[in-house]
Amino acid sequence: MFRNTSNRIGFVCFLLASLFTFFAFRLVDLQVGGHEKFLKLAAEKHGFKQPIFAQRGAIYDRHGEALAVNVPVRTVTADGTRIKDPAALAHIAAPFLGVKESELLSRLSTKRPYVVIQNGVSELDATAMMNALETAKLQGLYLQEGAQRVYPNGKMLCHVLGFVDHNGHGVDGVEKVFDQALAGRNGYRHVEHDRKGVEIVLYRGQEQPAENGKNITLTIDMGLQAIVEKELDNAMATYHPAGATAVLIDPVTGEILAMASRPNYDPNHFNDATPEQMRNRAITDMYEPGSVFKIVATAGAINEGIVTENTPIFCEYGHFLYGGKILKEASHEAFGEIPVRDVLVHSSNIGAAKIALKMGDDKYYEYVRRFGFGEKTKIQLPGEISGLVNPPSRWDKLTLTRMAMGQSVAATAIQVVMAMSTIANRGKLMMPQLVCKSSDGSVPANSAVRREVVSSAVAEMINGALSDVVSKRGTAIQARVEGYTVAGKTGTAQKINPHGGYLNDRYIVSFAGYLPAENPRLAALVVVDDAHVASSANYGGLVAAPVFSKIGEASARYLDLPMNPAELTSTNKNN
Amino acid sequence: MSSFRNTHQHNRKKANNGIEVPLLTQWLILFFVLGLSGLFFVYLKNQQHAIGKQTRIIEEQLVGAHAHNDALIAKITGLTSRGALQHKLDEKCLDLVPIPETAIARITMPASSQEGDGMRTASVSLNFK
Repeated sequence: MFRNTSNRIGFVCFLLASLFTFFAFRLVDLQVGGHEKFLKLAAEKHGFKQPIFAQRGAIYDRHGEALAVNVPVRTVTADGTRIKDPAALAHIAAPFLGVKESELLSRLSTKRPYVVIQNGVSELDATAMMNALETAKLQGLYLQEGAQRVYPNGKMLCHVLGFVDHNGHGVDGVEKVFDQALAGRNGYRHVEHDRKGVEIVLYRGQEQPAENGKNITLTIDMGLQAIVEKELDNAMATYHPAGATAVLIDPVTGEILAMASRPNYDPNHFNDATPEQMRNRAITDMYEPGSVFKIVATAGAINEGIVTENTPIFCEYGHFLYGGKILKEASHEAFGEIPVRDVLVHSSNIGAAKIALKMGDDKYYEYVRRFGFGEKTKIQLPGEISGLVNPPSRWDKLTLTRMAMGQSVAATAIQVVMAMSTIANRGKLMMPQLVCKSSDGSVPANSAVRREVVSSAVAEMINGALSDVVSKRGTAIQARVEGYTVAGKTGTAQKINPHGGYLNDRYIVSFAGYLPAENPRLAALVVVDDAHVASSANYGGLVAAPVFSKIGEASARYLDLPMNPAELTSTNKNN
Repeated sequence: MSSFRNTHQHNRKKANNGIEVPLLTQWLILFFVLGLSGLFFVYLKNQQHAIGKQTRIIEEQLVGAHAHNDALIAKITGLTSRGALQHKLDEKCLDLVPIPETAIARITMPASSQEGDGMRTASVSLNFK
């Protein structure tokens, strides 16, 4: 074929050149054309995006006491391909994991590369187990990082704090409302590992550090919370009610200092809780407030100049025929002509109804709304309801007289205590505040005046009348606190029958008040739902007022509020 | 004859390739430097891997120490929580002793109406970290 040597050499050279040209093209094709594809394949095989978990922010009370913290826990996993002696491994690991050796052995006898052995193993146990395995030169068990949310105070403040689910998302309470701020943001790191699965640090790629969640400080004072919880427990033991609620606030700033409801639950074991136990009754339950509501009519009428505190109101000697119905006094007393302030002191239903009638439907409704009823207080908790206040267009002839004494209207505990605080705070309705601050200030604190409901002069008049309520003349002598002037109002309302009308001999009783009356520092509401006592004793002044008194006394001592020497003397005289 | 031998020797000398020592040395040095650089590169890579391993071990130890610390803090928080202290009180491991009013010496005046809006409490507010 080839006649001479040079031709043969030329042909071979041509073949070789073609071959290497082909290789060169292929090389370029692989390196340039297939760059993305092979890079991806290599990354999938050796590299992965390792998550860096953010730590959930802690929750503290106003003095820095931990209310919700994270405890590091580990998930123990097994790699069946690396287990050489499952029996020895099970023998050493079982005591640390708290499982039977035989059970663990059966789970370790596998060739699967990834088996979850146990979740939620404490850091201390997990570390001790790994040290023991290392000493025995055994391998096959590995640890994964994790964290568990823990509420050190158990049931205390459970309704405010809420809890997180198994994925670490807030489900209720502050945990839910501030979930985003508390959760932070997970980071990541692109890493490559060798064929043994060990990370090659040299080839670490892009890294985004985790952003830990913000710590949140509540306005809650755990000293006061402990007092409230203790007294509620005592009330539950004494009266065996269906439920009870107490809220303690600073009337000047609107800060919630304590909030508790019964029944309650332990957020550390939320799976065991019933929906009934999980309900924060202070914001999710509405009830007819009863006589506490009389402050609306009296304060509104005085503020509008319709009456003064001394304007005489004829109380029809206990029988007021209006709209074809006879309205009676709750205490079955027969009052003749009494001044407006005594309508509050004696809790006269007829007096309150007549004052409301003087105001008229629209003006009275305006004041009901101005006191914050029928609208959410915007407290930083989930599930708040706005209560029930019908507009005048839906009223019948009797509605006004019934509303004046706290019927035909429904309110939440937080609404009632905020309304009472309005009187304590010289007529200014505050926004309830639950969060003091967060670690970077990202959670806004909203200490703000919502509106001026009545003038400070009118508030002062009502304050005087409410102080008389907690005296021998009034209906709540049992709410008094030695050394302090207490102002407040009782409330007793029949429970509503779901089938219409009211339930006989079943009451929701309450007391809302504040102290010291001359310079209010604490406002509180105690609500006891369906106390198991004789109906003749089932009044706010007899059931809720003593609970308020105990809370007020302990709280005043805790806060070291200055005593009123005159009040101390008069109390001693009373004794 | 003698001149022939001399000429022949001279030609043979000319025909042999002479070893050019300087050039050879130059190349040898070049290859030596390249080889040394390669070895040094490998050495550095190995060192990097070794340091990477150490970094990983230290990071793991650091994470472990942090986790251990957090676990101990949580344990301390649990043991000093109100619930735990109440439990100790109930078990009579602790006791509350009332302090009579006469035994209390106040070094600051109690809060009064003339003071600001801030509420004075028994404990001191902690600065947030």
